[in-house]
Order: sequence, then C-alpha cells, then structure tokens
Amino acid sequence: MTAMLYIHQTHCIQPQQNPLQANIELINEPVDNKLLAFEPSYEQIPPGILRRMSKAIRMGVGAALPLISQPVPVNGIIIGTANAGMDDCVKFLNQIVQYEEGQLTPGSFVQSTGNVIAGQLGLISKNKGYNITHMHLGLAFENALIDAIMQLNTNPSNSYLVGGVDDLSLFNYNIEKLSGDYKEEAISNKDLYNVDSPGCIAGEGAAMFIVNTIKEYAVAKIMAIHTLHSTDVEFVKQQLKIFLQNNVQEGTEIDLFLSGENGDNRTTAYYTACETLLNYNATIVRYKHMIGDYATASAIGLWYACKILQTQQIPAQMIKHNLTKTVHRNILMYNNFEGLQHSFILVSAI
Amino acid sequence: METAELKLQLKKQIIEFLNLLSVKPDDIKDDEPLFGEGLGLDSIDSIELIVLLGREYGIEIKDPKEGRKILTDINTMVAYIEQHRTR
Repeated sequence: MTAMLYIHQTHCIQPQQNPLQANIELINEPVDNKLLAFEPSYEQIPPGILRRMSKAIRMGVGAALPLISQPVPVNGIIIGTANAGMDDCVKFLNQIVQYEEGQLTPGSFVQSTGNVIAGQLGLISKNKGYNITHMHLGLAFENALIDAIMQLNTNPSNSYLVGGVDDLSLFNYNIEKLSGDYKEEAISNKDLYNVDSPGCIAGEGAAMFIVNTIKEYAVAKIMAIHTLHSTDVEFVKQQLKIFLQNNVQEGTEIDLFLSGENGDNRTTAYYTACETLLNYNATIVRYKHMIGDYATASAIGLWYACKILQTQQIPAQMIKHNLTKTVHRNILMYNNFEGLQHSFILVSAI
Repeated sequence: METAELKLQLKKQIIEFLNLLSVKPDDIKDDEPLFGEGLGLDSIDSIELIVLLGREYGIEIKDPKEGRKILTDINTMVAYIEQHRTR
C-alpha cells in the first residue's frame, strides 16, 4: 500500500534505558533470555487505575499518554497488540476453574480483553473518537498503521495515535518457549547474531506515534507498507523486489536497511535474501539485540527509524554493515515474525 | 480469632485483592471510609470486596443497601464478619 503518512511525535517504553547507547557494554543484558522493559513511574496514570493494570496495559497507556495529553486532541486511537491483557485473561480463567464458576472478581475480566489498551486510553483521555485494536499477531502493528493510512485517506484533516504493545508475561513465555521460539542456551545480546542456533531472546515494549497528513514539523513520513504471509524465502524476496520497484522513485535509493533479524537461524535466510536486493553501499542496522523479539517489535523498529532520521546518528553496536554513508534519508524496514508473517515499511526523512 | 487479629487479616486481604501496591495495613484506619475519601475505592472495588467476603468468610451479600452499610469501613466489615461468617 502506497501511503503518505507523517509521523509527528513518538514515545516508547522498552528494555533499554538509553535506547541509542553507542557502547554495547552498557546496554541492558537479558536475564534468562528475557529482556524486560524499563518501566517509568507512570505519573500520568491515576493510581486507582494503575493498580488494576497488567504490564502490557501499563506500558501501552504509559507510552501513549505523553503524546495524547497535548492541547490538540487526536481524532482516534489505533493500537496493534498480539496479546494485550493475556495475564489477566489467564488469571480470570484460572479463577473460573478454582472457584467452580462461582464468585469471580470483575477486575481481571475487565482488564483481560484485547481492546483494553485502546479502551483505557480513550477513557483516561476522554477521547470519544475512532478507537480500535488490531490483533494479528506479528502483523498487529502493521495492520494498525494500514488502518491509520486508510483513516487518513478518508479524513485527511485528522490526527491519530498509532502504537504497538506487547508484554512478556510468564504465560506467553512458557507457551512460546515450549514451541521453540526462544533460545535454549543462555545468551548475551552481544553474541545474539553470532550464535548459529534456533530461537531468539524474548522481549517486550510499547511504541506510540502521532500521525497525520501534515508535512510541517513532521519527523518522518511513511511512504509505503506491505504485509504478507509466506514460508518461502524466494517468494518473500520477489515481493520485496516488487515493493521496491513500485515505491522507490528513480533517482532515489534505500540508504538504510533496518533489519528485524533476531538471531534465530531458522529465519536468517529471509533477511539475507532481502539484503541482496540492496545497493552495496546501503547501511544495514539491527535492533532486536536491544529489545528482544515479540509480535509487535516492529513498532520499536519504527521508533528507531524515526530517531535515526531525526538525529542521523546510529550507535555502532547496531550497525551490521556500513561503508561510508553518513546521511540516511530513506529507510527500508523488514520484519519477519516466526518465519511466516512479513512486513516491509518504507520510511523517509521530510 | 480476636477482633484486632481479624482486622489485620482483613486489611491484608483487601490490599491483596485490590492490588493496593503502595498501601500497608497500618495505613488503613479502622474507622476511615473505604470509598470516596479515605482509601478512595470505587464501585468495581465494592464488587471485589463482596467476592472477598464470599470466598474468605462464606458470607453472601444479596441486598445492595445492606452491602453499602457493611462496606463502610473496617469496623463495619469486621463486625459483620464476626456475626455472619460460616468459615
């Protein structure tokens, strides 16, 4: 889908206190192959509401409130999440069994629905506009972006909050560990891309963006986005080739490839294949050693893309390949979730 | 169980059930209103407290007006528990 969506403000909560830390020795290490988010004190969330929130909800609401507390309200809230309040959902289901479908507390139930993050944001900010949650696992955030693009095509004068959130709950981790998603051996994030083994580091985070069609004061623009499901490396490569032919204008080139590579040797081939379509002098940057991997990790990827375009600085430990480029204006993001769900996003400087 | 002991146990249960992370049992005064001012609980909390009474003390509250009186403060809750508990 070709688009022209301008990103104006960004905010994220993620496992690194200093996400643009240049010294790899100073980035937070995973514990038990888990990179947990560094949470703020959430001063903007009323304490009475905060105490009922599970981590995913806290992170989502906490990352969004600084953006939607601006004087000009947004016209809608569009969130992508694979699991939302899964912890509370499991707690509620366990209560059903434990108390034999008798007296159940409403808190866990209220907090367990998929749309709880967007819903809570709407309630706290008194925003009665478009309020929707996309839950398409590894493409949840991308579908939220596509929704925002479609909304802006229909209502070009509107602004929307778009975000991606997922937490690393014990329930999710245990299930996904059993399905082989995470590495068996303990691994440092410094070595993530050097170990030839299946699985990745588990991660979590929330990234939020204010988007509209106004170019003035924007930090970046999304030129195009494409999603697909496939397990065929060659097909994915062909799709990317078509995506680039359709969306990169003659005379411009991809300066930077923001790769969602996560250290899982079962999916490395997809990234390698996509890299062959780039110019040799394109910079290749990776970020999953900073945040781990999870279904909506590409939202943090987009946050990194915005920061790179804004500051033109890339921490050395994130660079996989760079020749001499110092200015980056066109970023191609490629993310792959569990070797099945793929997304290409073209992000450019203003 | 002594009344003082029951009050402490109830305060601990309220903190756990309502996830009052920053509150300690000593912070909850026996005669301080639980709702509105005081502890600042709301309508969802009232349902959680009714479930708490059912699960922990075998007390079933069917009349909302009665519930409002029982859940006024720690003193009223403990007095009701002492008279009506089945476990």
